[in-house]
Amino acid sequence: MNVLAATAITASALEAEKMRVDITSQNIANAHTTKGIDGKPYQRRVVAFESVLNQEMGQNMQGVRISEIKRDESPGELLYNPEHPHADKDGNVHMPNVNIAYEMVDMVTASRSYEANLAVVRNARQMANQALSIGR
Amino acid sequence: MELVASLFATDNYTAVKKMMDVSAMRHAAIASNIANVSTPGYKRVDLSKSFEDELKARISSRDADAITSAVPRTELDTMTPATRADGNNVQIDRELLEMSTNTMNFDALTNFASGSLKQLKMAITGHQQ
Repeated sequence: MNVLAATAITASALEAEKMRVDITSQNIANAHTTKGIDGKPYQRRVVAFESVLNQEMGQNMQGVRISEIKRDESPGELLYNPEHPHADKDGNVHMPNVNIAYEMVDMVTASRSYEANLAVVRNARQMANQALSIGR
Repeated sequence: MELVASLFATDNYTAVKKMMDVSAMRHAAIASNIANVSTPGYKRVDLSKSFEDELKARISSRDADAITSAVPRTELDTMTPATRADGNNVQIDRELLEMSTNTMNFDALTNFASGSLKQLKMAITGHQQ
């Protein structure tokens, strides 16, 4: 019997969800970055999750990790604003393809998943404590 | 030695121990499901149905050795349909509910194990505590 070993799986999920929130915050922070380090408008980053077999926990038990952080290649909005320092010769500014609504949804999903995983740890701890108090 | 060992080899006590193992494995399976709630294509893991039936049969046979030798196993749940486009069939509310149920189940089992040990102690010493 090993209740606490399941926390390895949960830890991997907490790490992945934390990363998802970090990426979301990066996207929101750069929602108006019209010139990134590569000189182009910022492209929103998207995380991809993949499951990892956790051998110690026995068959089928799977942790999770972020397999890649991809750039969203879809074009951003064109905003007519000739006064903007990054406007092109027609007076248009290429805005980043960040959609705040998407990012908020992503952030809420990630933080709810994080909470669910914390509940798993809480339950595992309760089970371990119960097992330790057998015979008392 | 044989006398002392036989005190702990009653069918009920071994059944409780085995069911605690099963419950711990179930918790790991649920942990895996909740961890992978956002993984595309993930299929939920649960205790194997055939194992549950097997354990039930072994417990009702009241054979302590048969109960001890049962090895809990899990299987991928492909029967639950995926409600999302990414093929993942985990429903977070269901998993959380099952986790609470499982934890409560585990509590009941530990209480039972404690009770058996306390009874044994009382039988040995002749007084409570």
